[in-house]
Amino acid sequence: MRNILQEIKNAVRSRSIHVSYVDVGSCNGCDIEVLACLAPRYDIEQYGIYVHNNPREADVLLVIGSVTPQWVDKLRDIWDKIPEPKVAVAIGNCPISGCVYARRGTLTSPPVEKYIPIAASVPGCPPRPTEILSAILSVAPLIFKDYEERKP
Amino acid sequence: MRSIIYYVREFLRPEWIRKFFTAKTAPLETPSYFKGYPTLTGNKCTACFSCMMICPAPGGIAVLRKKDGWEPEVYPGHCIRCGLCVEACPEGVLSSGRILDVTAHDGTAFWSWYHLEVDDNICMRCGNCCVSCPVNRQIDPQLAGSGTSSSDEVIMRIEGGRVQILHEEKCTGCKTCETNCPNSAIRVARMVEGVQIPEAET
Amino acid sequence: MKKTVDVSIPLGPMHPCWKEPVRIKCETAGERVLRTEIELGYMKKGIERIMRGRPWQEVMFLAERVCGICSVIHNMVFIETMEKISDIAVPPRAAYLRVVVNELDRMASHILANFSYCYTIEHETLAMYLLNIRETVLDNLERITGSRINTAYMIPGGVRFDLLPEDAAVMLADLMKVEEEMKRYTRIFETGPLIALRSKGIGYMNREEAIRAHTVGPTARASGVEDSDLRLCHPTYQALGFTQVTRTEGDNFARVMVRFQEVFQSIDLIRKCVDTLPEGPIRGGGLCKAGTASYSGEAPRGELTYTITTDDYGRVVDITIRTPSIMNVEACAHAMISEATSIADVTSTFISSDPCIACNER
Repeated sequence: MRNILQEIKNAVRSRSIHVSYVDVGSCNGCDIEVLACLAPRYDIEQYGIYVHNNPREADVLLVIGSVTPQWVDKLRDIWDKIPEPKVAVAIGNCPISGCVYARRGTLTSPPVEKYIPIAASVPGCPPRPTEILSAILSVAPLIFKDYEERKP
Repeated sequence: MRSIIYYVREFLRPEWIRKFFTAKTAPLETPSYFKGYPTLTGNKCTACFSCMMICPAPGGIAVLRKKDGWEPEVYPGHCIRCGLCVEACPEGVLSSGRILDVTAHDGTAFWSWYHLEVDDNICMRCGNCCVSCPVNRQIDPQLAGSGTSSSDEVIMRIEGGRVQILHEEKCTGCKTCETNCPNSAIRVARMVEGVQIPEAET
Repeated sequence: MKKTVDVSIPLGPMHPCWKEPVRIKCETAGERVLRTEIELGYMKKGIERIMRGRPWQEVMFLAERVCGICSVIHNMVFIETMEKISDIAVPPRAAYLRVVVNELDRMASHILANFSYCYTIEHETLAMYLLNIRETVLDNLERITGSRINTAYMIPGGVRFDLLPEDAAVMLADLMKVEEEMKRYTRIFETGPLIALRSKGIGYMNREEAIRAHTVGPTARASGVEDSDLRLCHPTYQALGFTQVTRTEGDNFARVMVRFQEVFQSIDLIRKCVDTLPEGPIRGGGLCKAGTASYSGEAPRGELTYTITTDDYGRVVDITIRTPSIMNVEACAHAMISEATSIADVTSTFISSDPCIACNER
């Protein structure tokens, strides 16, 4: 019985992913590439992924940008507001390494892993929409599979 | 009312109906002209470090010594896929998208060289730059210690209490001297010029 | 006595309607907005600090990453400032190719801005149509430069890649399609009665206010400010016979319509460029020298100014960037939103001025 319920949950979760994105100091490049995923060309909604900017109903948080000082506490707040199960995906070079901003004189403090746990990252400056799509599609079912059973 | 009619007309267009029933999402593929991460072509790398020098991203590319010779390695997560290294490489070791074809067609290239300058007002004549320079050490192993050298082939040496720059053209732009200088008196300027060689001359 | 409730409503920094972090504080009495204040500073990365002491080939990429939406114009203005400092002449073919790429980028940026506006007023059909046609524009940009965004196309003394004849043919065919589709979308926007309810007469800013607030770009042009387009001063655009688009309504509708009209203008400019593309080299070479110069260009959002000081070896010693959005955002807060009749119009009015927060704060 429990297994059937879990199977249903797995199936539903893999086809219904709510995505929220937060821009913590990028150049907008990755930002509009996430938007371009909405376009009918790539059509992110055919995979059951719905992009809206509300962390309280999101499953996946896309983090864009190298972290600016103003975002350090707010990023943690946003991460706490997302209900379990949740996963964060870093989009672009900035959250991974700081991209071109990781130089002497910068005000940013990458990587974003210092603040919230990151499950997957999509390198590129900016990554193509296809790369973003396949990253979300590949990471989300794995994270949400059998979530209740893995819980201690 | 007018808007309802408008939308009915919009959705009754034959093109819209045809697309609604038959359209498929384009497959998720990358076009061939996209500048992806640079890949190796198999040509032999001569360790001129042009790619490392021109790379605008910190830590994007590094030329590493492998078992059989040198080989550039691109780090995703740092590389910004600008393709400058592909254009700057004189041997065509790297390739990305169709940059190699296009540059061969246009005859475009980047010329790059270095300019070393020492600010005598700040320099305290410690000789760290001359000792730490890897090219210097290769040319004259005796250099370690004093920074003076009897060889005329080194890039720079201490002469009469001053740093003398002898062979600027041998510099590979590693900036070891800049990092080892205690009060940043020595600066390496990277000069790059984008040029096009007319096809008649090539 | 009737009690009036004054509520201060914060919008942002993470709001479903804006893509970038910015906070708008609205003081309201009932539905009416009395006063608004815009709080910036969430995106300050210190790009100008990083740029100092670096050679052009690194600053070029940093300049491009000031703003990802209008990256080509940042690249172009920076490179043209460096050329002005060091007296580098650009081959005519390269100058025309720059215009082609710049106009493609401007089209993509304007279509994206109109998409955001339609998405904000919840007209998703038109928004998705626009986003789809933007992909076609970006395809052409990618075919010429090799990447969709942050193209890194221009270098001092020329451009990086040539426009191949087969690419030009594909681009002209695509532009035919884009023009036809955009005509239809413009008609949807112009004649849609529901859109008119959300757009016409809302966020009104008259000409005097626009001039007093130093607005630039489509925001100024929608309020009827003449000669506010710096492309009129650019030699290549002058050769192409560029004229400015001006509307006089000054509301949200006019601002979006100006961008629609400029897309058509860009299509015409690209066609003229490709038709009259001179033969010759695409790179002239030339080294960057010491000097100081200030140069302005017309970004999709308005006037963009770079002031650069370089040393003998082409390294940037000092740089100041003045981006267009800062004037538009302030004008938006003080002239457009403050008199708004409804708090529901704040988001759409703010988006209609096409704010670019990454530009503002760098």
